[in-house]
Amino acid sequence: MISQMGADAASGNWLQVIGTPLMLVVACLLMYLAIVKKFEPLLLLPIAFGMFLTNLPMEFAQRLLHPQFFIDESYLINGHDLDMQLIASQGGLLDLLYLGVKLGIYPPLIFMGIGYMTDFGPLIANPKSLLLGAAAQFGVFAAFFMALILGAMGLGFDVKDAAAIGIIGGADGPTAIFVTKTLAPALLPAIAIAAYSYMALIPVIQPPIMKLMTTKKMRSTVMEQLRPVSRTEKILFPIVVTLVVGLIVPDAISLVGCLMLGNLAKESGVVERLGKTMQNELMNIVTIFLGFTVGATATAEQFLTPQTLGIIALGLIAFSFSTLGGLVLGDIMYFATGGKVNPLIGSAGVSAVPMAARVSQQVGQKENPSNFLLMHAMGPNVAGVIGSAVAAGVFLAMFK
Amino acid sequence: MTIAQALGEGVQTAIIGLSTVFAVLIILMIVISIMKAVFYKEPKKQLDKAVDSAGKELAKAVEELPVTDKAPQDDEELVAVIMAAIAASLSTSTYHLKIKSLRRVDHAQSEWNKAGLHETISHTF
Repeated sequence: MISQMGADAASGNWLQVIGTPLMLVVACLLMYLAIVKKFEPLLLLPIAFGMFLTNLPMEFAQRLLHPQFFIDESYLINGHDLDMQLIASQGGLLDLLYLGVKLGIYPPLIFMGIGYMTDFGPLIANPKSLLLGAAAQFGVFAAFFMALILGAMGLGFDVKDAAAIGIIGGADGPTAIFVTKTLAPALLPAIAIAAYSYMALIPVIQPPIMKLMTTKKMRSTVMEQLRPVSRTEKILFPIVVTLVVGLIVPDAISLVGCLMLGNLAKESGVVERLGKTMQNELMNIVTIFLGFTVGATATAEQFLTPQTLGIIALGLIAFSFSTLGGLVLGDIMYFATGGKVNPLIGSAGVSAVPMAARVSQQVGQKENPSNFLLMHAMGPNVAGVIGSAVAAGVFLAMFK
Repeated sequence: MTIAQALGEGVQTAIIGLSTVFAVLIILMIVISIMKAVFYKEPKKQLDKAVDSAGKELAKAVEELPVTDKAPQDDEELVAVIMAAIAASLSTSTYHLKIKSLRRVDHAQSEWNKAGLHETISHTF
């Protein structure tokens, strides 16, 4: 270990020398946030520990994960294809598990579980929620735009990097990882950590923007109760969504298709056993693999860069502008319907389910204690999941 | 890439991207509305019948439930619970119910109490 550090220092690789201990400190800080502050612990804990493991000073051959195998052109066949032979023969444990990220396997499987746990009823009862889910993707494109400008100013983001950073604004971890592993694999750890940390901070980020964008009277609007939704509608919904998204944005289909398979399994009510696996065992297993390997890609040379700081700043901008986009359309709907829509449900259009909807409920209840916005906010919330997957598909189609 | 190029590219992508997202979700909105028109029938008539026959007694009993003098918020919760109970027993949604008033039926004994007594008696004999 010492000789390794000595060799790094001798070869002038100072980042490995100062960087490695610094990364261990960052990993411990993230573990602290996960364990003590309970910031998305299900993901942050494996991410932080993966980060810890990968930054232990070790010989190249002993490392659990070699990000070079996936990013460095000298290890790729023809400069872009994965060398599976090399990964299988020389890769460590996490190299093999990381294939699930790199090949885009884990995020859709997580979406399957999310689909099983999601009730699209509030969305079917109030289809206008879809507009709010679309408006809340504004932050994705706002952050993309700003990342491009920062890139042009010398921070080194190209179009693909900017797209991956923008997707943080979708407030959807699996979607962000799905886009980043294709468009900007070198930024994966920073983007994943930013996305999950800000998701945990939604109850802090959103309320000030919500208060800024609405008046007291608007916030206390009581909405009409949602109509009940028939079983036929609930069963047809996943099929129809898959058809529409598949025809228009085929790049989003692995995410949306799996989401809808999970949902169909739930609504059909005939495959309860499969559903149990989707939402529990399968999702938990995949979450462990995903978090662990994504964390392990965070080596000092990749993580301790000015870009990471840029990503953390842009991530916050992305979240804020997504919230703003949803609220602006919420306000428009409030006026268009003559005060029947509570604009607070707009901020739930960011897809962090069900956190964003809960924030709408809490802020609304503060103004009017007998107001129950939760179900109304669930509509835009689940629409946001579809919206951010579509936005991801658009980026993949344009820049892949 | 210069800043001017970045501005151009950014605006262009944002417009294409956001409009695609809106287009897809608006199409879904239209499809869902069509689905509603085809598959969803207001079950109002059925409900009236249900209330008339099976629910008459219940409705009467419920109408005569109490307005206690607790804090108004507790009352709202109570109304919500009663409403949900009626909806469940009529196998419909609270969406179709309108409760005008709740008063307690005056009995020295509660219904539970009576049921318990009946059960004890019938088991004994």
